[in-house]
Amino acid sequence: MSESWSGGCQCGAVRYRFSRKPTGAHICHCRMCQKAFGGFYAPLVGARLEYFEVTRGDIAIFSSSDLVERGFCRECGTPLTFAYKGGRGVSVSIGSLDHPEEFPPIDQHGVEGRLPFVNDLGHLPDLPTTEDEDPDTAKSIRLSNHQHPDYDTAEWPLRGQ
Amino acid sequence: MKDLDLGEFSGGCQCGAIRFHAKALRENPHVCYCRMCQKATGNLFAALVGVGHENLTWTRGKPAEFRSSEHVGRGFCPNCGTPLYYRYEGGKHISFGIGAFDEPHRIPLLYQMGLEGKHPSLFHLGDVEEVGTTEAAMGDEAGAIKLTNNQHPDHDTSEWTPRPSTV
Repeated sequence: MSESWSGGCQCGAVRYRFSRKPTGAHICHCRMCQKAFGGFYAPLVGARLEYFEVTRGDIAIFSSSDLVERGFCRECGTPLTFAYKGGRGVSVSIGSLDHPEEFPPIDQHGVEGRLPFVNDLGHLPDLPTTEDEDPDTAKSIRLSNHQHPDYDTAEWPLRGQ
Repeated sequence: MKDLDLGEFSGGCQCGAIRFHAKALRENPHVCYCRMCQKATGNLFAALVGVGHENLTWTRGKPAEFRSSEHVGRGFCPNCGTPLYYRYEGGKHISFGIGAFDEPHRIPLLYQMGLEGKHPSLFHLGDVEEVGTTEAAMGDEAGAIKLTNNQHPDHDTSEWTPRPSTV
Protein backbone atom coordinates (compact mmCIF):
# COMPACT_ATOMS: atom_id res chain seq x y z
CA MET A 1 0.00 0.00 0.00
CA SER A 2 1.39 3.38 -0.94
CA GLU A 3 0.96 6.08 1.67
CA SER A 4 0.68 9.77 0.91
CA TRP A 5 0.31 13.02 2.84
CA SER A 6 -1.94 15.63 1.26
CA GLY A 7 -2.92 19.18 1.95
CA GLY A 8 -4.00 22.42 0.33
CA CYS A 9 -5.41 25.88 0.78
CA GLN A 10 -8.65 26.85 2.51
CA CYS A 11 -10.73 27.27 -0.66
CA GLY A 12 -9.41 24.09 -2.34
CA ALA A 13 -8.09 25.75 -5.54
CA VAL A 14 -4.65 24.34 -4.71
CA ARG A 15 -4.00 20.79 -3.49
CA TYR A 16 -0.64 19.07 -3.03
CA ARG A 17 0.61 15.65 -2.04
CA PHE A 18 3.78 14.11 -0.65
CA SER A 19 4.62 10.52 -1.60
CA ARG A 20 6.92 10.34 1.43
CA LYS A 21 6.17 11.64 4.90
CA PRO A 22 7.63 15.14 5.27
CA THR A 23 10.21 15.54 8.03
CA GLY A 24 11.88 18.22 10.11
CA ALA A 25 8.71 19.79 11.49
CA HIS A 26 9.63 23.10 13.09
CA ILE A 27 8.43 26.59 13.76
CA CYS A 28 10.29 29.70 12.62
CA HIS A 29 9.85 32.89 14.63
CA CYS A 30 11.79 35.17 12.27
CA ARG A 31 10.07 38.41 11.34
CA MET A 32 9.83 37.40 7.67
CA CYS A 33 7.93 34.23 8.52
CA GLN A 34 5.71 36.14 10.94
CA LYS A 35 4.83 38.67 8.28
CA ALA A 36 4.32 36.13 5.47
CA PHE A 37 1.88 34.22 7.68
CA GLY A 38 0.37 37.25 9.44
CA GLY A 39 0.92 35.16 12.55
CA PHE A 40 3.23 34.56 15.49
CA TYR A 41 5.49 32.17 13.53
CA ALA A 42 5.57 29.85 10.52
CA PRO A 43 5.12 26.11 11.20
CA LEU A 44 6.90 24.18 8.42
CA VAL A 45 7.69 20.60 7.44
CA GLY A 46 9.30 19.45 4.21
CA ALA A 47 10.65 16.85 1.84
CA ARG A 48 12.77 16.65 -1.29
CA LEU A 49 11.09 17.94 -4.45
CA GLU A 50 10.78 14.49 -6.02
CA TYR A 51 8.36 13.49 -3.26
CA PHE A 52 6.15 16.60 -3.72
CA GLU A 53 3.43 17.09 -6.32
CA VAL A 54 0.83 19.81 -6.89
CA THR A 55 -2.34 17.86 -7.67
CA ARG A 56 -4.75 20.75 -8.30
CA GLY A 57 -4.27 24.33 -9.44
CA ASP A 58 -1.16 26.48 -9.31
CA ILE A 59 0.80 27.87 -6.41
CA ALA A 60 1.45 31.63 -6.71
CA ILE A 61 4.96 32.67 -5.68
CA PHE A 62 6.18 35.74 -3.82
CA SER A 63 9.98 36.03 -3.68
CA SER A 64 10.47 37.41 -0.20
CA SER A 65 14.17 37.78 -1.12
CA ASP A 66 16.45 36.58 -3.91
CA LEU A 67 16.94 33.35 -1.95
CA VAL A 68 13.44 32.35 -0.91
CA GLU A 69 10.14 31.69 -2.69
CA ARG A 70 6.95 31.68 -0.63
CA GLY A 71 3.94 30.00 -2.23
CA PHE A 72 0.31 30.87 -1.55
CA CYS A 73 -3.15 30.42 -3.06
CA ARG A 74 -4.13 33.31 -5.32
CA GLU A 75 -7.85 32.65 -4.66
CA CYS A 76 -7.93 32.55 -0.85
CA GLY A 77 -4.45 33.59 0.34
CA THR A 78 -3.51 30.53 2.43
CA PRO A 79 0.29 30.42 2.86
CA LEU A 80 1.39 27.08 1.42
CA THR A 81 5.11 26.67 0.74
CA PHE A 82 8.60 27.88 1.61
CA ALA A 83 11.55 26.93 -0.63
CA TYR A 84 15.08 28.08 -1.35
CA LYS A 85 15.47 28.94 -5.04
CA GLY A 86 17.38 26.19 -6.75
CA GLY A 87 17.12 24.04 -3.63
CA ARG A 88 16.33 20.35 -3.57
CA GLY A 89 13.44 20.53 -1.15
CA VAL A 90 10.18 22.25 -0.35
CA SER A 91 8.48 22.91 2.97
CA VAL A 92 4.75 23.32 3.44
CA SER A 93 2.81 25.14 6.14
CA ILE A 94 1.78 22.55 8.72
CA GLY A 95 -1.70 24.06 9.08
CA SER A 96 -2.37 23.48 5.37
CA LEU A 97 -1.77 19.72 5.66
CA ASP A 98 -4.91 17.62 5.99
CA HIS A 99 -3.54 16.17 9.24
CA PRO A 100 -1.43 18.81 10.95
CA GLU A 101 -1.59 16.81 14.19
CA GLU A 102 0.83 14.28 12.65
CA PHE A 103 3.61 16.87 12.57
CA PRO A 104 4.47 18.15 16.06
CA PRO A 105 7.35 20.67 15.85
CA ILE A 106 10.68 19.21 16.97
CA ASP A 107 12.71 22.43 17.08
CA GLN A 108 12.32 26.18 16.69
CA HIS A 109 14.26 28.63 14.57
CA GLY A 110 14.65 32.39 14.19
CA VAL A 111 14.29 32.82 17.94
CA GLU A 112 15.43 36.45 17.69
CA GLY A 113 11.88 37.20 16.54
CA ARG A 114 10.02 35.17 19.16
CA LEU A 115 7.20 37.24 20.59
CA PRO A 116 7.43 37.55 24.37
CA PHE A 117 4.07 35.92 25.10
CA VAL A 118 4.30 32.93 22.74
CA ASN A 119 5.66 30.42 25.23
CA ASP A 120 2.77 31.13 27.59
CA LEU A 121 0.03 30.27 25.08
CA GLY A 122 -0.77 27.02 26.87
CA HIS A 123 -1.62 28.96 30.02
CA LEU A 124 -4.10 31.47 28.59
CA PRO A 125 -7.71 31.20 29.79
CA ASP A 126 -9.62 28.74 27.59
CA LEU A 127 -12.96 29.75 26.13
CA PRO A 128 -15.31 26.85 25.28
CA THR A 129 -14.98 25.01 21.98
CA THR A 130 -16.38 26.68 18.88
CA GLU A 131 -19.55 24.57 19.09
CA ASP A 132 -20.08 25.21 22.80
CA GLU A 133 -19.33 28.90 22.74
CA ASP A 134 -21.94 29.81 20.15
CA PRO A 135 -23.82 26.76 18.83
CA ASP A 136 -26.10 28.75 16.49
CA THR A 137 -23.26 30.52 14.73
CA ALA A 138 -21.18 27.35 14.57
CA LYS A 139 -24.05 25.48 12.98
CA SER A 140 -24.72 28.27 10.52
CA ILE A 141 -21.06 28.31 9.49
CA ARG A 142 -21.03 24.53 9.16
CA LEU A 143 -24.02 24.65 6.83
CA SER A 144 -22.38 27.17 4.49
CA ASN A 145 -18.76 26.07 4.94
CA HIS A 146 -16.64 26.82 1.83
CA GLN A 147 -13.46 25.26 3.18
CA HIS A 148 -12.06 22.27 1.31
CA PRO A 149 -12.37 19.11 3.45
CA ASP A 150 -9.30 17.47 4.99
CA TYR A 151 -8.96 14.78 2.31
CA ASP A 152 -8.35 14.67 -1.44
CA THR A 153 -11.43 15.15 -3.64
CA ALA A 154 -11.94 14.09 -7.25
CA GLU A 155 -13.82 17.30 -7.99
CA TRP A 156 -14.23 20.49 -6.05
CA PRO A 157 -16.26 23.55 -7.10
CA LEU A 158 -14.65 26.81 -5.95
CA ARG A 159 -16.94 28.97 -3.86
CA GLY A 160 -16.66 32.12 -1.83
CA GLN A 161 -14.24 34.01 -4.10
CA MET B 1 -16.65 45.86 23.40
CA LYS B 2 -14.15 48.39 24.73
CA ASP B 3 -10.94 49.51 23.03
CA LEU B 4 -7.52 48.91 24.56
CA ASP B 5 -5.47 51.84 25.78
CA LEU B 6 -2.40 50.89 23.74
CA GLY B 7 -2.29 53.70 21.20
CA GLU B 8 -2.29 53.53 17.41
CA PHE B 9 -0.96 50.73 15.22
CA SER B 10 -0.02 50.25 11.56
CA GLY B 11 0.46 47.04 9.66
CA GLY B 12 0.24 45.30 6.32
CA CYS B 13 1.19 42.31 4.22
CA GLN B 14 4.68 40.98 3.56
CA CYS B 15 5.16 42.60 0.14
CA GLY B 16 3.70 45.96 1.20
CA ALA B 17 0.95 46.18 -1.44
CA ILE B 18 -1.61 46.43 1.38
CA ARG B 19 -1.18 48.70 4.43
CA PHE B 20 -3.63 49.65 7.15
CA HIS B 21 -3.80 51.88 10.19
CA ALA B 22 -5.74 51.37 13.42
CA LYS B 23 -6.48 54.26 15.74
CA ALA B 24 -7.27 51.74 18.48
CA LEU B 25 -7.50 47.98 19.07
CA ARG B 26 -10.48 46.20 20.59
CA GLU B 27 -10.05 44.59 23.98
CA ASN B 28 -9.90 41.10 22.45
CA PRO B 29 -6.41 39.98 21.40
CA HIS B 30 -6.73 36.19 21.21
CA VAL B 31 -5.77 33.06 19.35
CA CYS B 32 -8.27 30.73 17.67
CA TYR B 33 -7.35 27.07 17.09
CA CYS B 34 -10.42 26.11 15.06
CA ARG B 35 -9.67 24.17 11.88
CA MET B 36 -10.98 26.98 9.67
CA CYS B 37 -8.58 29.52 11.19
CA GLN B 38 -5.76 26.96 10.95
CA LYS B 39 -6.42 26.33 7.29
CA ALA B 40 -6.94 29.98 6.33
CA THR B 41 -3.58 30.89 7.83
CA GLY B 42 -1.70 27.64 7.08
CA ASN B 43 -0.84 27.78 10.74
CA LEU B 44 -1.48 26.09 14.07
CA PHE B 45 -3.89 28.87 15.06
CA ALA B 46 -4.94 32.37 14.01
CA ALA B 47 -3.82 35.23 16.27
CA LEU B 48 -6.35 38.05 16.01
CA VAL B 49 -7.29 41.44 17.40
CA GLY B 50 -10.29 43.57 16.40
CA VAL B 51 -10.24 47.07 14.93
CA GLY B 52 -13.52 48.98 14.94
CA HIS B 53 -14.66 50.16 11.52
CA GLU B 54 -14.55 53.72 12.86
CA ASN B 55 -10.88 53.30 13.76
CA LEU B 56 -9.68 51.58 10.57
CA THR B 57 -8.06 53.18 7.50
CA TRP B 58 -6.72 51.27 4.50
CA THR B 59 -3.68 53.39 3.71
CA ARG B 60 -2.38 51.45 0.69
CA GLY B 61 -4.12 49.01 -1.63
CA LYS B 62 -7.22 46.93 -1.01
CA PRO B 63 -7.19 43.31 0.20
CA ALA B 64 -8.82 40.40 -1.61
CA GLU B 65 -11.41 38.44 0.36
CA PHE B 66 -12.34 34.76 0.52
CA ARG B 67 -15.77 33.95 1.92
CA SER B 68 -14.95 30.94 4.09
CA SER B 69 -18.66 30.59 4.89
CA GLU B 70 -21.77 32.66 4.32
CA HIS B 71 -21.00 34.68 7.44
CA VAL B 72 -17.25 35.13 7.40
CA GLY B 73 -14.89 36.94 5.02
CA ARG B 74 -11.14 36.40 5.26
CA GLY B 75 -8.94 39.11 3.74
CA PHE B 76 -5.52 38.55 2.23
CA CYS B 77 -3.03 40.24 -0.08
CA PRO B 78 -3.58 39.16 -3.70
CA ASN B 79 0.11 39.78 -4.50
CA CYS B 80 1.89 37.94 -1.67
CA GLY B 81 -0.88 36.01 0.11
CA THR B 82 -0.37 37.26 3.67
CA PRO B 83 -3.58 36.50 5.61
CA LEU B 84 -4.75 39.86 6.92
CA TYR B 85 -8.16 39.67 8.57
CA TYR B 86 -11.25 37.76 9.73
CA ARG B 87 -14.52 39.62 9.28
CA TYR B 88 -17.93 38.47 10.56
CA GLU B 89 -20.72 39.78 8.32
CA GLY B 90 -22.43 42.69 10.05
CA GLY B 91 -19.82 42.84 12.82
CA LYS B 92 -18.71 46.10 14.43
CA HIS B 93 -15.04 45.36 13.90
CA ILE B 94 -12.60 43.51 11.65
CA SER B 95 -10.12 41.18 13.35
CA PHE B 96 -6.58 41.50 12.02
CA GLY B 97 -3.77 38.96 12.17
CA ILE B 98 -1.51 40.12 14.98
CA GLY B 99 1.63 39.12 13.04
CA ALA B 100 0.62 41.53 10.26
CA PHE B 101 1.03 44.54 12.56
CA ASP B 102 4.37 46.36 12.54
CA GLU B 103 4.66 45.91 16.31
CA PRO B 104 3.06 42.58 17.22
CA HIS B 105 5.04 42.46 20.49
CA ARG B 106 2.95 45.38 21.74
CA ILE B 107 -0.26 43.32 21.59
CA PRO B 108 -0.55 40.98 24.60
CA LEU B 109 -3.00 38.08 24.34
CA LEU B 110 -6.05 37.82 26.59
CA TYR B 111 -7.63 34.46 25.77
CA GLN B 112 -7.70 31.41 23.48
CA MET B 113 -10.64 29.80 21.71
CA GLY B 114 -11.55 27.06 19.23
CA LEU B 115 -9.97 24.60 21.68
CA GLU B 116 -11.33 21.60 19.77
CA GLY B 117 -8.55 22.22 17.22
CA LYS B 118 -5.64 22.73 19.61
CA HIS B 119 -2.68 20.41 19.01
CA PRO B 120 -1.09 18.82 22.09
CA SER B 121 2.39 19.92 21.00
CA LEU B 122 1.45 23.57 21.55
CA PHE B 123 1.34 23.05 25.31
CA HIS B 124 5.06 22.31 25.24
CA LEU B 125 6.32 25.04 22.91
CA GLY B 126 8.58 26.45 25.60
CA ASP B 127 10.35 23.08 25.86
CA VAL B 128 10.93 22.52 22.12
CA GLU B 129 14.62 22.58 21.18
CA GLU B 130 15.99 25.95 20.06
CA VAL B 131 18.42 26.04 17.16
CA GLY B 132 19.36 29.68 17.62
CA THR B 133 18.75 32.99 15.96
CA THR B 134 18.54 33.26 12.18
CA GLU B 135 21.94 35.00 12.04
CA ALA B 136 23.61 32.36 14.20
CA ALA B 137 22.03 29.26 12.65
CA MET B 138 22.34 30.26 8.99
CA GLY B 139 24.73 33.19 8.78
CA ASP B 140 25.46 33.06 5.03
CA GLU B 141 21.82 32.85 3.98
CA ALA B 142 20.75 35.47 6.51
CA GLY B 143 23.22 37.95 5.03
CA ALA B 144 22.09 37.30 1.48
CA ILE B 145 18.43 37.50 2.47
CA LYS B 146 19.00 40.81 4.22
CA LEU B 147 20.64 42.27 1.10
CA THR B 148 17.71 41.34 -1.18
CA ASN B 149 14.83 41.54 1.28
CA ASN B 150 11.49 42.24 -0.48
CA GLN B 151 9.48 42.50 2.75
CA HIS B 152 7.93 45.85 3.56
CA PRO B 153 9.63 47.42 6.60
CA ASP B 154 7.83 47.55 9.95
CA HIS B 155 6.80 51.19 9.62
CA ASP B 156 4.62 53.23 7.27
CA THR B 157 6.29 54.40 4.06
CA SER B 158 5.29 57.32 1.83
CA GLU B 159 6.19 55.33 -1.31
CA TRP B 160 6.71 51.61 -1.86
CA THR B 161 6.88 49.38 -4.92
CA PRO B 162 5.86 45.81 -4.07
CA ARG B 163 7.80 42.99 -5.71
CA PRO B 164 5.33 41.35 -8.15
CA SER B 165 4.42 37.71 -7.57
CA THR B 166 4.46 34.98 -10.23
CA VAL B 167 2.79 31.63 -10.80
